[in-house]
Amino acid sequence: MGMEKFELGPSPPARGRRKKRERLEEMKRELELDDHKLDVKELELKYSTNASTGLSEAAAAERLLRDGRNELRPPRGTPGWARFGRQLAGGLQCLMWVAAVICLTAYGVQRGEGDRGSSDNLYLAVALIAVVVVTGCFGYYQEFKSTNIIASFRNLVPQQATVIRAGQTLQVNAAELVLGDLVEIKGGDRVPADIRILAAQGCKVDNSSLTGESEPQPRSPECSHESHLESRNIAFFSTMCLEGTATGLVISTGDRTVIGRIASLASGVENEKTPIAVEIEHFVDIIAGLAVLFGGTFFVVAMLIGYPLLRAVVFFMAIVVAYVPEGLLATVTVCLSLTAKRLARRNCVVKNLEAVETLGSTSVICSDKTGTLTQNRMTVAHLWFDGQVHTADTTEDQSGESFDQSSPSWALLSQVITLCNRAQFKPGQDSVPVAQRDVIGDASETALLKFAEVTSGPVAAARGRCPKIVELPFNSTNKFQVIMVTGDHPITAKAIAAAVGIISEGSETPEDVAARLRLPLEQVDPRQARARVVTGTELASMAPGTLEELLRTHPEMVFARTSPQQKLVIVESCQRLGAIVAVTGDGVNDSPALKKADIGVAMGIAGSDAAKNAADMILLDDNFASIVTGVEQGRLIFDNLKKSIAYTLTKNIPELTPYLIYITASVPLPLGCITILFIELCTDIFPSVSLAYERAESDIMHLKPRNPRRDRLVNEPLAAYSYFQIGAIQSFAGFTDYFVAMAQEGWWPLLVLGLRPRWEDAHLQDLQDSYGQEWTFAQRRYQQYTCYTVFFISIEMCQIADVLIRKTRRLSLFQQGPFRNRTLVVAIVFQVCIGCFLCYCPGMPNIFNFMPIRFQWWLVPMPFGLLILIYDEIRKLGVRRHPGSWWDRELYY
Amino acid sequence: MSKDTKKPFRQSMAEWRQFIYNPNSGEFLGRTAKSWGLILLFYLVFYGFLAALFTFTMWVMLQTLSSDIPKYRDRISSPGLMISPKPDTALEFYFNRSDSQSYSEYVTTLQNFLESYNDSKQSQNIECTPGKIFDQSDAAVKKACRFNISDLGQCSGKEDANFGYSKGTPCVLVKMNRVIGLKPEGEPHIQCTPKEEGVVNINYFPPNGAMDLMYFPYYGKSLHAHYLQPLVAVQLAITPNGTKEEIAIECKILGSPNLKNQDDRDKFLGRIAFKVLMSE
Repeated sequence: MGMEKFELGPSPPARGRRKKRERLEEMKRELELDDHKLDVKELELKYSTNASTGLSEAAAAERLLRDGRNELRPPRGTPGWARFGRQLAGGLQCLMWVAAVICLTAYGVQRGEGDRGSSDNLYLAVALIAVVVVTGCFGYYQEFKSTNIIASFRNLVPQQATVIRAGQTLQVNAAELVLGDLVEIKGGDRVPADIRILAAQGCKVDNSSLTGESEPQPRSPECSHESHLESRNIAFFSTMCLEGTATGLVISTGDRTVIGRIASLASGVENEKTPIAVEIEHFVDIIAGLAVLFGGTFFVVAMLIGYPLLRAVVFFMAIVVAYVPEGLLATVTVCLSLTAKRLARRNCVVKNLEAVETLGSTSVICSDKTGTLTQNRMTVAHLWFDGQVHTADTTEDQSGESFDQSSPSWALLSQVITLCNRAQFKPGQDSVPVAQRDVIGDASETALLKFAEVTSGPVAAARGRCPKIVELPFNSTNKFQVIMVTGDHPITAKAIAAAVGIISEGSETPEDVAARLRLPLEQVDPRQARARVVTGTELASMAPGTLEELLRTHPEMVFARTSPQQKLVIVESCQRLGAIVAVTGDGVNDSPALKKADIGVAMGIAGSDAAKNAADMILLDDNFASIVTGVEQGRLIFDNLKKSIAYTLTKNIPELTPYLIYITASVPLPLGCITILFIELCTDIFPSVSLAYERAESDIMHLKPRNPRRDRLVNEPLAAYSYFQIGAIQSFAGFTDYFVAMAQEGWWPLLVLGLRPRWEDAHLQDLQDSYGQEWTFAQRRYQQYTCYTVFFISIEMCQIADVLIRKTRRLSLFQQGPFRNRTLVVAIVFQVCIGCFLCYCPGMPNIFNFMPIRFQWWLVPMPFGLLILIYDEIRKLGVRRHPGSWWDRELYY
Repeated sequence: MSKDTKKPFRQSMAEWRQFIYNPNSGEFLGRTAKSWGLILLFYLVFYGFLAALFTFTMWVMLQTLSSDIPKYRDRISSPGLMISPKPDTALEFYFNRSDSQSYSEYVTTLQNFLESYNDSKQSQNIECTPGKIFDQSDAAVKKACRFNISDLGQCSGKEDANFGYSKGTPCVLVKMNRVIGLKPEGEPHIQCTPKEEGVVNINYFPPNGAMDLMYFPYYGKSLHAHYLQPLVAVQLAITPNGTKEEIAIECKILGSPNLKNQDDRDKFLGRIAFKVLMSE
């Protein structure tokens, strides 16, 4: 939470006796709170403000400096060391700890037996502990960063408050509110501070965040209760205003608000793991379980063959280390956060990372029309009075023809438009043309305001003549005000839907079919129509199940004039049909549906706080196209994660087989544990992350959305293809290179088989090779390190081929462009550089068991890399040519 | 975002059983017999191909190798030292000079070791010019130089069949590991030093523990089948002070600049340390 630490907390943390005294004072202050009982005069006096014009800017700035920002101090979460500790004690980490302890024990026992030669087990123990600590640090850093991202999102979407200062109505950041500020709230807003209501029209608030009761509570200027907590004339910070409007005086800000004092409420903010992380962790656990099972089997086998217990235990541990994909979790986290960042650049703020992936599997988008599809800009186009429709001038510069303005009805209507309207121009725009002025208010009222300003002169003056006495506010249940302009009629809704492509060209509604066939509507089979428009009234009278039936039959549906409950019903019906539903919306009335949806998308500019709160994703620029970007990115990350995981899993086989061959064929060990850890956590991390930058294969938007219950991230073909095919080729590459390196140094393959007991005999200082030369134990050990390095390089070379084939799952590598993903190219180069460094940096043999190997041993695995490339091209060709065939089913992952 | 619903245990057990064998579809572990057959056939072909490829690569690789000289000698630039007899566990000799049973194993090992140095076995070996590297790289057939076992004096086994173990003057043979093409420079000789002074007197056979250059270089076991590496016998005359306590002795090869004897990581490169405990 780095960013917020810099904010000055209003009350600095204190300890001991000082803290106690402070708390006592705080309690006293609470008792003294009597703002709800004071009348306006007394309040003005107490907060030295003006109840009609508000504070002056200077006074506000001064108070802001004095009291600090109107924000809750971030709760003191779990202390850092505890979170770090948790990182060190995961399932996998525990396994590693056990392994390290086994190593240390082995080392101790060997020391006890007087074997001074081998410190390998000690090094391995140290390396394992280092791995746990390093991955722990990485995880901690990731968690820390994601907390930071969430914190910065909070800043990206600042809460706005409407405040009156020096008589001007302004929009300010809610954090800049100070005591005595005069604020206005309306339906959909979050109450920006604790306020004493001075005037209210049908204002209702949802205090559920404070009291847990979700029943809307009316708010009015009267004091209704002794306790300020119960009194109707106080609205609390962070509660929601559901409907109506109110004007109030800020009586406390930041941590001194009621909600700020309920510390427990604020500290409950825990960073929850996203389901995708859970799925990955679950997967790693399965792998770890398999590893233990596998290791256990070989432990038993080793014991039966006659290895001493200690050796068998070390084998067991080595197999576990080889089989567990240590770098996987890190890769996945990095991939997800990369995508979230990429989305944020395109003005999609993702509140939880997992939502990115969910977006991709979205199969139904329920979009709220207003403000989402349209720009949420409205213009008065037609008027209806005297039983006649009049056309208004819709051109920006009023050059078009106007209607007859002489009718008395028009005079009345114009007055209504002018006065029954809460919208107002932002101050200081007198020189700007009316059509382009910024307005505070919702879209329909803005349209009316501008219309009035143009047709009948300055609105402000007219309003000055007729001050507001009472307001009957607009809400979604008594929508009587502006039907004529919202165009919320089924026909309009259909027209808009057709215009933005929800009803695609060529699709017909039953009404269209009826018109085409010249039949009465009742005789038309609705199944003939692709599209359908359903109104809220129709919906209300439908029998249960009919809606599902309709959703099934018509892929394109438009619902007009629905209530919040009906929106919820629509979402639920879609979900019952097995769809993953994304809902877009901006209003308070959308928030239940947003919450219910698998992924809720709120509009950043037009969206109310309620909608933003309920949503998983926020479109900062209110651009519907961003959702499409989001879906695309979601599908992309799913695809790329799959590729990354496939890449990461592949090398577990060439890491595992050396042990199996070592135990069964008694060859000198081809690959050491420390080397494996270097592959897992050093060289292969970069390419696997770089796959997150891979472009989409073909047009992913044309594919059907995935079914998250069936199309898992890691499926059987993926595991089989990675483990048993590519992994197998890599193992063969490693062993080829191993036998080549051994043979060229004097140990022929047939001698190598069964050589292990003599090779590892520390007392045998003159072991003969195939040419009759005699080797000391240390010389043999360096030869063994050479083998490790050679095997390591083989895996690296094959992994380069692997990362190239993973770029695509279906397309040919050349259709995708082998070098178009620059990050991947850089990652490969970097990987090779690390490989070179490990091999040729002086001192490596004795620290990490890497030897400077001959250049031609780099070349040996390359044909196998080529084989991987060719084989995968053949696989992809088969998959493309014969969709649905046996080949496609078994080999497409 | 599917909500997790905990399945009852019995249901999940039933699902497992269904997975292992599904009587309705005849699926065993999620596949029908035909499906299993196809996939196994596929893997049979796949691995068959890989194995063939591997075998072919190995064959090609072996074709490129000479059977006489290894392609590289990166790890064995300098030879190690070894002794004979070599006790089973560590390099520690424990014996009682009056109990022949206690050293019979050493004696047998020495006898076996020197078997190949018998004159009868060396009939094909030629007499070489002492003090000179015997370079025969041009010769098609590499000759081996004769190593006269009598050069080992009291340790040859001729004069004392017990190699001095019964007299309190045990013999230990020091040999240098064979490394193809190694040509020592200077005048290599073995020198042994006990950790404590005055517990043991050391005699060398041949004198000074010299290793003659004429035995080098070695041409490998196929070209140089009869090659015998030079030996240095170290006779430890243990003084009465030295009995009943362990004597630590380190032998090193000295006098040759290209033979390492000080490597930190390899305690046997050009040197060897062993312990002797003799009781009476």
